[in-house]
Amino acid sequence: MAGELEGSKSLSGLLSGLAQDAFHGHPGITEELLHSQLYPEVPLEEFRPFLAKMRGILKSIASADMDFNQLEAFLTAQTKKQGGITCEQAAVISKFWKSHKTRIRESLVNQSRWDNGLRGLSWRVDGKSQSRHSAQIDTPVAIIELEFGKSGQDTVDLPCVVKHPESGSLHGDLGLWSLFMPGI
Amino acid sequence: MAESPLREPVLDAKSEVTCQLIDFQWKLGMAVSSDQCRSLKYPYVAVMLKVADHSGQVNSKSIEMTIPQFQNFYRQFKEIAAVIETV
Repeated sequence: MAGELEGSKSLSGLLSGLAQDAFHGHPGITEELLHSQLYPEVPLEEFRPFLAKMRGILKSIASADMDFNQLEAFLTAQTKKQGGITCEQAAVISKFWKSHKTRIRESLVNQSRWDNGLRGLSWRVDGKSQSRHSAQIDTPVAIIELEFGKSGQDTVDLPCVVKHPESGSLHGDLGLWSLFMPGI
Repeated sequence: MAESPLREPVLDAKSEVTCQLIDFQWKLGMAVSSDQCRSLKYPYVAVMLKVADHSGQVNSKSIEMTIPQFQNFYRQFKEIAAVIETV
């Protein structure tokens, strides 16, 4: 059974699944799913600690944002530990981190952004204009439309026209503000 | 008629624009660590915009941008400034 756990293709898939769950916020990546899809021959009571170990290793690497020297040192230490990992597993983890590091880091940064982000910016400059109350507004103005959104939400593409915001209030997680800036 | 100094135009209630930017504050920060990532090292620009609607009510809005996002933001404003000079 130990040989089953050493298969590199399955481990690669497991690490992908763990990353999707832990960093990219993909729902539905359960222990049962990973077990049935990747290690169906391994008894669940053997799979569970193995999964926990891999999850722990991946989280440690990501949390420290390890560079490749740190990664090699860390994985070597893991291979020498009692109940650690095999050299083959270390190689798979190393390859995985090298190709997924940037994307995982991006997800971790996004997870730490709780305020609104700027999703879009459109603008136009008006020359002279008139309105009901003012015959001539002769100051050039810039009208800017900012699109805000919280991390993790899908970006909504807006057409580049000035829209009428609803009383300047935020609806849902997306806010739309039109700003009026008098020109100099 | 004497040329009026820079004034804030009174906008028609039906006009599409209802908010005026009255203040712009910023800070440059570096997020060092978080519960999800011990070694975060993430620089960001946080901007606080204060806008007033036509009734005078002031609202604040804060946004956080990554450095590339801020650079795009800045580039767009530079472009606006250049165009507004020519009007």
